[in-house]
Amino acid sequence: MGDSSLNRSELLFDRPTELFASQPPETRGHDRDDVRLMVSTPEGDTHHAFTDLPQLLESGDLLVVNESATIPASLRANSRLGEILLNLSTRFADDLWLAEPRWSASRPGPLPLNEQERLDIGKATAVLLYRYPGIPRLWFVRLGTPASVLMAKYGEPIHYGYAPAYPMANYQTLFSRFPGSVEMPSAARPITSRVRDSLISHGIGIVGVILHAGVSSLEIEDDAVEHQPLFPESFRVPDATAQAVNATHARGGRVIAVGTTVVRSLETAWASNGVRACSGATGLYIHPGNSVHVIDGLLTGLHDPVTSHLAMLSAIAGLHRVRKAYAEAIQNRYLWHEFGDSHLLWRQSAN
Amino acid sequence: MKCVALVTGAGRGLGRILATFLAGQGHDIVITARTSAELHDVAQSLEGTGVRVVAIPGDITDPMHRTRLLQQTRMIGGLGLLVNNASDLGEIPRPELAIASLERFRVTLETNLVAPLALIQEALPQLERTRGLVVNISSDASKGGYERWGIYGSSKAALDLASKTLAAELKPRHISVVSVDPGDMRTRMHQDAFPGEDISDRPLPEVTVPFWAWLINQDPERITGMRYHAQGAMWVIPA
Repeated sequence: MGDSSLNRSELLFDRPTELFASQPPETRGHDRDDVRLMVSTPEGDTHHAFTDLPQLLESGDLLVVNESATIPASLRANSRLGEILLNLSTRFADDLWLAEPRWSASRPGPLPLNEQERLDIGKATAVLLYRYPGIPRLWFVRLGTPASVLMAKYGEPIHYGYAPAYPMANYQTLFSRFPGSVEMPSAARPITSRVRDSLISHGIGIVGVILHAGVSSLEIEDDAVEHQPLFPESFRVPDATAQAVNATHARGGRVIAVGTTVVRSLETAWASNGVRACSGATGLYIHPGNSVHVIDGLLTGLHDPVTSHLAMLSAIAGLHRVRKAYAEAIQNRYLWHEFGDSHLLWRQSAN
Repeated sequence: MKCVALVTGAGRGLGRILATFLAGQGHDIVITARTSAELHDVAQSLEGTGVRVVAIPGDITDPMHRTRLLQQTRMIGGLGLLVNNASDLGEIPRPELAIASLERFRVTLETNLVAPLALIQEALPQLERTRGLVVNISSDASKGGYERWGIYGSSKAALDLASKTLAAELKPRHISVVSVDPGDMRTRMHQDAFPGEDISDRPLPEVTVPFWAWLINQDPERITGMRYHAQGAMWVIPA
């Protein structure tokens, strides 16, 4: 599938900032499913309403969603540098988290902080232990108060410069059941109950995995895209889901991952003869140098330039098709990010 | 209360990082290594972490030394985590098996296979009380069949099989055993294995810290019998 090595510059593209979706559709007086859906196959790209999704799939296809719910992981902290943000990313234990200290929502780090420095979060403290190897803007931190308590008291949803913080409900999907993601697994966001019911009545299955998403895809800094270090995120592929995926393939049906987190979970769970039930931590980085085994299609949003997500898309459909689809999306003024439009990318011909 | 840990080969490299990490996480630790100066340097660097650090220099192939180590772990609360990290690379430069010294091979097996098993045997009563975890440090040389890695590699292959067997045998006693391949790292041992070569492209042993942070926070009984790559892209627990 495509070239095995990908250069950073090949994932660069220009996209006007007015194409950043800064507001959820429901706060603009629309329904969540009132977004657009671009479908990309080897034959080309077509444009649809998201509510057309059931008609674009076939009976016997299987959607796999992420059932992780979003938690308010952005904490204001006082430090030697003044007020900063501490965005919790990934839980290792109640008192041990991977976290990203930032100047603010719109201004990332790395911050000039040192090991053993203390941060005050309200009346609680956090101690910086060590930087994550290879990813200097992430730190292991020890929390003096359990994260759940800190978040309940002081937490806001993690958000970035292009959008303000909205109420937590805006960061959950229909399938959010197990709290743990610090950024919304947003691909399922436009799936409303009416879309879900229509999918089911079209004979399309829906099953879940859990992957607690950490702070989002870091920009790829190395010229060779396959050298991007990723940190591990906690995941689980339940037995019923593994069985449903394998049975779908055995019947000749297609497996569609709803979101990049689902691709990573399923590909992590892949063994030579199918998907096995398992859990653990995965930092699996999917790029054109390693193959995709499980999924036939990916339903996702539109991703930023030079991110690991784009490397994954290129592993699924080849760089040429991804670049073509993104040019098409820009030309047709699709909206980017978690509150934006949708993209269904097929590995092969859809029909 | 975090459990008491024992780390062998803690004077430098991976063992030092492990000891530092575990102390930082609030574990009381007993550390050992043959080079006394290095070991005490590690102990000194951990002053102020607020945990008990007991440094006992010695050779783990010495039964008296092993008994001393386990007396200490018992005295400070009972062993919950045993990390068999001390390893012997064997003859340097690494010989082909066809001409390897058998005497020297026995020494390597004694350090890499017999001594870890002896520590485990003697620690069983403590590990049973704490429902503890044994981590045996392995190497990709145990699977490779790489030329000139036969001595070290076969000792680690045997340790891997011992780990897996122990995991099965000790399951009813709620003692768990895993094998961990830390991957290539910029350490003294790695430099010894490649004399005169530039190994600066290998990561420092700190690269394994995320894995240890993950491992020690798992339920040991769910991961027993597994072999992990500390620098791998995924750490999977079977259903």
